[in-house]
Amino acid sequence: MTNKSNNGFNSWQKSFEKETKKNFSDAKSETDEGIDIKPVYTKDDLENFSFVENNSLPGQWPYTRGPKASMYTNRPWTIRQYAGFSTAEESNEFYKKNLESGQKGLSVAFDLPTHRGYDSDDDLVMGDVGKAGVAIDTVEDMKILFNNIPLDQMSVSMTMNGAVLPVLASFIVAGEEQGVDRSLLSGTIQNDILKEFMVRNTYIYPPEPSMKIVADIIEFTSKEMPKFNSISISGYHMQEAGADNVLELAYTLADGMEYVRAAMSKGLDVDDFAPRLSFFFAIGTDFFMEIAKLRAARTLWAKIMKDFGAKNERSLILRTHCQTSGVSLTEKDPYNNIIRTSYEALSAILGGTQSLHTNSFDEAIALPTDESARIARNTQLILQNETGVTKTVDPLAGSYFVENLTEELSKKAWDIITEIEELGGMTKAVKAGIPKLKIEESATKKQAKVDSGSRVVVGVNKYKNPKEPSVDVRVIDNNRVRDDQIKKIQAIKKSRDTRAVEKALANLTNAAKDETNLLTPCIEAIKLRATVGEVSKALEQVYGRHFAKSLSVSGVYGKHFEGDKDFMKVEKKVIDFENANGRRPRVLVVKIGQDGHDRGAKIVATSFADMGFDVDMGPLFQSPKDVAKDAIENDVHAIGVSTLAAGHKTLVPELMKALSNIDPKSKIIVFVGGIIPEQDYEFLYKNNVSAIFGPGSNIIECAEKVIDLISDNLSKE
Amino acid sequence: MELIENIQKGERAAIAKAITLVESSKDSDQQLSRQLISELIKKPGKSIRIGFSGPPGVGKSTFIESFGSYLVTKNYKLGILAIDPSSQITGGSILGDKTRMVEISKNPNTFIRSTPSRGTLGGISMGTREASIILDAAGYDFIFIETVGVGQSEIVASNLVDIFTLIVGPGSGDELQGIKKGITEYADIFIVNKNDGELKIEASKTAADYKSALSYYKKLDKLEKQVLLVSAIEQTGMKEVIKTINQIVDQNKQKGIFEERRADQLKFWIEEEVKNIIASDITKRLSSKGSISKYSEKVMKNEMSMFEAVETITKDTLK
Ligand code: B12
Ligand SMILES: Nc1nc2c(ncn2[C@@H]2O[C@H](COP(=O)(O)OP(=O)(O)O)[C@@H](O)[C@H]2O)c(=O)[nH]1
Ligand SMILES: [Mg+2]
Repeated sequence: MTNKSNNGFNSWQKSFEKETKKNFSDAKSETDEGIDIKPVYTKDDLENFSFVENNSLPGQWPYTRGPKASMYTNRPWTIRQYAGFSTAEESNEFYKKNLESGQKGLSVAFDLPTHRGYDSDDDLVMGDVGKAGVAIDTVEDMKILFNNIPLDQMSVSMTMNGAVLPVLASFIVAGEEQGVDRSLLSGTIQNDILKEFMVRNTYIYPPEPSMKIVADIIEFTSKEMPKFNSISISGYHMQEAGADNVLELAYTLADGMEYVRAAMSKGLDVDDFAPRLSFFFAIGTDFFMEIAKLRAARTLWAKIMKDFGAKNERSLILRTHCQTSGVSLTEKDPYNNIIRTSYEALSAILGGTQSLHTNSFDEAIALPTDESARIARNTQLILQNETGVTKTVDPLAGSYFVENLTEELSKKAWDIITEIEELGGMTKAVKAGIPKLKIEESATKKQAKVDSGSRVVVGVNKYKNPKEPSVDVRVIDNNRVRDDQIKKIQAIKKSRDTRAVEKALANLTNAAKDETNLLTPCIEAIKLRATVGEVSKALEQVYGRHFAKSLSVSGVYGKHFEGDKDFMKVEKKVIDFENANGRRPRVLVVKIGQDGHDRGAKIVATSFADMGFDVDMGPLFQSPKDVAKDAIENDVHAIGVSTLAAGHKTLVPELMKALSNIDPKSKIIVFVGGIIPEQDYEFLYKNNVSAIFGPGSNIIECAEKVIDLISDNLSKE
Repeated sequence: MELIENIQKGERAAIAKAITLVESSKDSDQQLSRQLISELIKKPGKSIRIGFSGPPGVGKSTFIESFGSYLVTKNYKLGILAIDPSSQITGGSILGDKTRMVEISKNPNTFIRSTPSRGTLGGISMGTREASIILDAAGYDFIFIETVGVGQSEIVASNLVDIFTLIVGPGSGDELQGIKKGITEYADIFIVNKNDGELKIEASKTAADYKSALSYYKKLDKLEKQVLLVSAIEQTGMKEVIKTINQIVDQNKQKGIFEERRADQLKFWIEEEVKNIIASDITKRLSSKGSISKYSEKVMKNEMSMFEAVETITKDTLK
């Protein structure tokens, strides 16, 4: 007998309808994923599952309840905080302090030049050195980074994808020169290139050779580094770029399948490498959804790997790192972020993550200070030591709601995975740009919900703090870091055996022309003190550099504002502008330098276009000179610079210079959006920036201000 | 005008502002624009204008990036007018062509201007023609015009250029039946793009389809139409394209076709413009008199036939 037909449920339903004055069947709320959440779940909702098995146990098929039988009751999750900034020396100091304060594993954040395979002395990266991570040019930097940190004892995670070969090679050589054999190194290299093309944007080579490099690393580590995770298949960045949980889940697992195939195509048996595949997910604010996602991910992966013919149980088990969501954190009223992060962390724990990074409350302002990093770490220490959450494995198992949600998510993700597989797999899909577009669509919808107020963000669009607190900010002097790095590079270039380095690099270029595993010749070159940039260039000679073709969504933002007063007001201003000036307001939205955060720029561009602007969208990685040429040739009224990776103080003045170099009388106005600490506002205004739009800006308000500024500027003729 | 001198000196900002003028819908801008153009045509440059047309997504922008990069290494100066079709839905538009022209847009020997199409004739307006006059006066060797090729707009686009190129994708040969005669009149070169990877076989097949279809019309036209295979992404086939372009230009010049075409195009544009002016004038008269609604009422009430109404209105309006 089912619950719904029994009297208990009927009388509950009556009471519910009386209290809410709503029909039970209408009382649903739809999530971003398009899942209807009911106000109550019952035993009925545990029926007809195709993925979740109701009576499974932790550490057992299908691993919904966790990869291990004992989970945190035996050993809590690893507190692994992602960090890195300026020079190797400073990052090393920071790591050592953190380890003393209870952190258990290291996770290295590299700067953007390193990610993209440029040395610190390259002109293209002038504004980016040491700004958003640590600069590594040679193995000497890598050795400094791990100075007094024994690499046979410390597990080290490295977020590196584009320049994965020289960086992993440097890590291996640094270990060796510390006296640690590579077989003893433990940790993870991210090595997940597909999501770079989709959302993270630190690719170097085109998709095919990039996939070959991924497979090389899997092959090498499976043979020579048994304690090292060859890849961290990442959905994290997708959610941060705007994906909902179904998209994150589906694309991540589909990526995983592609990597499995790539490794198998090298002749490896699936069980040779599958136990060393690891995952990485984001944990956002939708509390139960995130828990369900981790449970669903394990369930689906077990099925996928079984289908690949895995025999070893460890090949079936999905192990994951998680990070709380940065994008859920706000610049406004920033102490709220401590609270958000705590709930997200709890979600990750209830979902059964193996390791966790918790964000600092100054996330939307700059890289964390020592103090904000301490609070972030303590969030996890408190969970581990004070709340009792480690005492029971998978405590939400059997919850009608959570089990049902796990099944729903699995189903929806599976549909997408099947679709992608039918189209020929994720590499193909990524090349066609479809997943990126889907994620941007989802991101644009989220922005529209916040801007229209239908989604509340405390302190941003409701319950604003009338007295915003001022917080300390970590300041990095990138010119000093760059000078230091250049000096180090010069010294190394003087003392090394140049002929031998050239020969090793030539070997590497040759190896890239056939099927040889590239890590071995990389290690040779790095040992001889070739730089990360030189190694990347040696490969670039064969593979070329990849330029992304970007597509844009259209109409997604505007659709949310049909009949909206403020939206229509801007639309009208645009038409009035056109009547007065013979054309629409035309704005060039750009990213400058190596900053690959394109979520904001893309959303602003499509939203402005929906309001009637003509928007020129610049490609990624432009120099200030490129931007100026583009702006002047198209005679735009304004340039909107979207900058999140802290290059603004170098790059914006350069842009101003470049504009007046081409046209001394240029009347193009410049405004800036993104991560700008308040301390820098004055500097930018002094450099003739017309307006600054920080995180949380309402885009309709941005558009109105921009059109007003343009009109003012034109009337100054 | 100072503007004219600066254009002739090749100053980027001057060229850009002049294009804004010719594209502007403001009356005062239109007047300035006319003066400007009548001055500029007195000192014509030596540009060859080439049109690249084809359906969205076949790789026109990518091809221009690839072909353009090849030309700039040969020290040619390249002006590019990209009519971006990506507007329709909202009235505003995202001009993203430049994200496909990353390399050439950095080159100092290029000038790239995107124009939102607003849905009219694939975006080609008088503005586009005038913009190419400006680039010509500014000393660009080649002027590329990227347009979306759909029906009518091909005729208009082909009247803007000395050589008209249709870019097609692998597998598009099937559509040949429908295209038939029309297209061969307007296009000089057919470029089958995406001749790479898995698409190679299909691309060759498509090229063969075009060749055989065109050989039929060879007898009718005086000129031989060329079919070329390229990959914009792998930058293959570019030498052939420039060779073919040069050949056609030389040949047309020798035979006098080059000038003849320009003269024909002039006629076309004069006629277009006259028609436009008359049409807008008549529209104005019609609406000021209100005759349409007046007579349609009568037709509705069966007081007169539709034919009679049309005749009366026409006479009345043209008076
Ligand atoms: C999402 C995100 C990512 C995603 C990016 C996905 C993508 N494709 O964009 C992922 C996970 C990939 C990522 C990666 C990295 N990130 Co990140 N990331 C963020 C995060 C959490 C949110 C940014 C965001 O997209 N917000 C949502 C959008 C809609 O908001 P927005 O861009 O701010 O835009 C709004 C306004 O600023 C304004 N605006 C912005 N631009 C423009 C332009 C115009 C014309 C106008 C009118 C308005 C306007 O309007 C928008 C609407 O409100 C921020 C922290 C934060 N909370 O802001 C860190 C942050 C920007 N990241 C940071 C770092 C360090 C990185 C990495 C470099 C880490 C590393 N070392 O590997 C990498 C590398 C990425 C790269 N290639 O550059 C740092 C930068 C530090 C700094 N500035 O000092 C931040 C600040 C986090 C931190 N505190 O450490 N990141
Ligand atoms: N395989 C392949 N794809 C191409 C080639 N040229 C362009 N493309 C792809 O086709 C899509 C559309 O290209 P785009 O230049 O924007 O086309 P347009 O709309 O005609 O300008 C992009 O995804 C390109 O990467 C090519 O030569 N080979
Ligand atoms: Mg195009």
